[in-house]
Amino acid sequence: MSVNKVFRIHPTINFARIGTSKAYYLSPETSAGLPLAGSATTGGLPIKPGTENEVIAATDLRDEDGYLKRQAARFRLYYYELDGPDAYPCPAKPAEVVKGTTLADGRVVKDIIWTVHLANKKAASYNVVPLVGINAFQDGFPQLRNPQVYGTTGTVADPIRLRNLVIDPGPRAVSAIANNKAKFNAKTPASYCSNGKIEEITAYPVTFPAGELHYPAGKLDSLGEVLTDEQGRLLVLAAHGHTAAGIDEYGDPVPCTGDLNNASWYDDAADGPVSATIVFEDGSFQEAFNAWVVCCDPAYAPQIRNVVSTWDDVYDTWVREMNLQPELFDAESFNPAFLPAFESMVRPVFRAALLQRWTVNLPRMAVKAHEAVDAITGADNPDKTIMAGLNFIRNPNLTGTPQSEVNTGVPLMPLSVGDAGTSFLTVTKTQYFFLEQWSRHQFIDGEGQQLGKGEYLDMASLSNCLGGRYVPGIEMSYIVRSTDIYQQDWQTTGAGPFRLKASPLNYASANKAPFLTAGWFPLQEDLSGLEPGDMTKFMAIPWQTDYNSCSIHQPSINTSGVNKTNGNGTTLYWSWPAQRPDAVYVSNQVVNNVLPKQQWAIRGKGTYSLDTKSASTFQKANQSVKDWDKLGIVVQGTVIGPDYDPDYYLEVQNQFDETIIPDNPALEWPFNTSPSANNPI
Amino acid sequence: MSTENLAVADPHWNLKHLYEHIQYAADLELWTIPFYMSAMYSVVNRSAEPFQLIQSVLHQEMLHLQCVANIGNAYGYRPKISMPVYEGQTIPHLDFNLDVPNPTQNYQPYTAEIGPLDMSRINAMCLIEYPEWDSATQPSLKQNIKEYANIGDFYRALRYGASLFKDRIKGGVNQVNYFSAYYRLMPGMTITENGNAGFNQVSMLIDLITDQGEGSNASQGNDPLIANFQNTADDPEQSADHFEKFEQIKNNTSLQDTYAFKPLSDYTDYDRQLIEILKENFNKLRNRLDALFVGENPDDFIPAMVSVGAAIQNCWKNGVTPQFS
Repeated sequence: MSVNKVFRIHPTINFARIGTSKAYYLSPETSAGLPLAGSATTGGLPIKPGTENEVIAATDLRDEDGYLKRQAARFRLYYYELDGPDAYPCPAKPAEVVKGTTLADGRVVKDIIWTVHLANKKAASYNVVPLVGINAFQDGFPQLRNPQVYGTTGTVADPIRLRNLVIDPGPRAVSAIANNKAKFNAKTPASYCSNGKIEEITAYPVTFPAGELHYPAGKLDSLGEVLTDEQGRLLVLAAHGHTAAGIDEYGDPVPCTGDLNNASWYDDAADGPVSATIVFEDGSFQEAFNAWVVCCDPAYAPQIRNVVSTWDDVYDTWVREMNLQPELFDAESFNPAFLPAFESMVRPVFRAALLQRWTVNLPRMAVKAHEAVDAITGADNPDKTIMAGLNFIRNPNLTGTPQSEVNTGVPLMPLSVGDAGTSFLTVTKTQYFFLEQWSRHQFIDGEGQQLGKGEYLDMASLSNCLGGRYVPGIEMSYIVRSTDIYQQDWQTTGAGPFRLKASPLNYASANKAPFLTAGWFPLQEDLSGLEPGDMTKFMAIPWQTDYNSCSIHQPSINTSGVNKTNGNGTTLYWSWPAQRPDAVYVSNQVVNNVLPKQQWAIRGKGTYSLDTKSASTFQKANQSVKDWDKLGIVVQGTVIGPDYDPDYYLEVQNQFDETIIPDNPALEWPFNTSPSANNPI
Repeated sequence: MSTENLAVADPHWNLKHLYEHIQYAADLELWTIPFYMSAMYSVVNRSAEPFQLIQSVLHQEMLHLQCVANIGNAYGYRPKISMPVYEGQTIPHLDFNLDVPNPTQNYQPYTAEIGPLDMSRINAMCLIEYPEWDSATQPSLKQNIKEYANIGDFYRALRYGASLFKDRIKGGVNQVNYFSAYYRLMPGMTITENGNAGFNQVSMLIDLITDQGEGSNASQGNDPLIANFQNTADDPEQSADHFEKFEQIKNNTSLQDTYAFKPLSDYTDYDRQLIEILKENFNKLRNRLDALFVGENPDDFIPAMVSVGAAIQNCWKNGVTPQFS
């Protein structure tokens, strides 16, 4: 069999994060909250630009003028020589490819031409339906966003709607040797790689929100930019968090009142394919398997691990539905002989449980229990630990049965609010299987399967994002569980797993708007692939209002307002606290490493609420699109200063008015919405 | 036990009697925890009503133990956390046959031995939380102070005795407070004041215990708990008392499926290990409770408490009946 020589971009999905500064740092290449060999600092921290892997300090989060730095998504290129069908982990050991690399077969890399196409289709798409999630596409489609823009057909594919509502600056290509930059705005010409060269598309039909608009925090005129670093790796920068609102018939900006589907509003989140053409000294060239970039919210707590991350959902989908590892899951069931590795497959859940305390108002009792969970090692007898019998983990295999635990609260964990239609979160079935195996003593100590460098980046990138609760999520939504979006022929083509399938676009004929279509939607048996903007269109518009409101909820927010839990319907829980901190310890209030009272993560002017359900929130959604950058970031004591306890994760760099002594520190959980269900005698 | 005879208004009571009653209260509350917990974890469906109702009661029994310890420490007495005994039909310091009419006729069969949730256990649970029939009579020491007909009668006597020694109350001594956030309408869970003001707090905690446990007396039917005593966080029926909840389970036409369990003769070495782990965990918990109630702050108290539940669940999942001693 001939060797299949392929190039793959890693991470397969990476995240550029919005910020107000022109400056940036690089996307993390480690996994949130997990220990790293030789370092007291845990994973998940972004990287200083110009370095291989030096993590940022707390002082690197904002620029010298106080603006919040952006996170550039750094993509690397790897060369694989595959000897037969692929497997996961890949048996071939990849080598990173940069400018000037000589490959194992003697070819010398002269240039790498990267092409990225960002778009935002949110305003042209369908509403997020929080109660049903992806099932909104089961027997039809949700209501269109902005139905007032009717076009000629009033459908999602209507060209007039697409032309008016889709933000599409077109693709941008940059060259490693030219070291050029390109912005995704209306001024910079669109370009792409054709036959190993950058071609401009002078007639590309760029579309941005037009007409009379209100810009609360700056004009929405760009979706970001691309450039290469000195080695020729790609950096994708997100935009600045600008939004735009239409003007109503009275001449006023359309108010931003909702959480998920604000009509006449736009934001500058975006996503799209990332491709690379490797040009060799001999003039030949080869395409790499593409990656995808998502431009989304800032990482407000980059080291706080989600109990269920996007990685957990993506991996679970690939394991159970795409035959990723037949030795783990074959056809219909998990293999009881599979031995998960404690450090990489079991411990992340335990670690995540502990870390939640830094972004929510957990009581001391829960913190102590979580500390005992995190203290479990691979050398411990599971029966002697606090997790014996998996007594406190909600079983996802029971969901949909009479024994379902998705509405059963404490002491079952995770404690946060669940996915659409469920009161509480569950770990994925794969996570639960790993835990069960551990509980049965069927595991191995250590890291287990060795991922290749690129595969590790795939995992790390996704593990730093929110999973489990996609109502609609903040970086990506429930569609990460749809097999249709991925390159399913990964084993034979050499694409490798976890790679989104890009719909081919004919840039040579791009001269008339709309260039992009309505794109891909779930549950339609559509295997044609994704267009730019097809990932983020399932997210809230603007993202800031969703971020703002997704703090503290009654679980009935997911169950049509009906309390289906086993407890008081007024009891409050957290939405997705690892990604959206609710309560934090402020670093400059720590004295001699004595933790201060927890403060709400969003506080100060415009945030006070009589009802704790609305605490830690800008009370007016309009403020969230202006002040989202004022929030602090939760990072580990190790990067705050030498005097801080390395086990602490504290809020730094907030821009709230700290001259006001806070009088509403976070209440200890459990707490209730007001008015209480009870009336005191 | 360090006690002294003290002349008080009622010559039948001295401080020793009060301390004994506090200790018996601690014994009784502690006794219920492994018994209820074992029955609860035997239920396969953790979302089922019986599981959830017992769990809510169990959490309140833990609260009651905390209350008793706080009362004891306010009077200068630290309750001891002794190993409970689960044999025959013996429940510490209660003799249901003393009640008139005798409620045991309605709750047969019953057993005080650790086991799965079945009719014998739910009957025992109902009897433990059985309401007092007549609260109008003057409470006093029984001739045999170790035997009361029901839990309400017992706590009425404790309250009476406590009222005689108000001047002994010293607030803020070794008080433990783990549950306040679950009872947002409760003025407090600890004794912070001395003397009369302290006794008001003592009396309130006794009310909390009895109201949550047996509720109002039987002649008044199933009045809801007063709001202050209701769990505001995670109780499936926050206004119902323990007796009401257990009656509800008993009156269900069928009990929930419980884990199959093996006869002792079939136990493997691994099964016996699970029992030893449970015993070890429970001993550790008792040890930590002892430390907690003398004002220490055992760092692993919560993990120790949680691990007992985990070990019980682990026993049942492996077909092993929990044992604590």
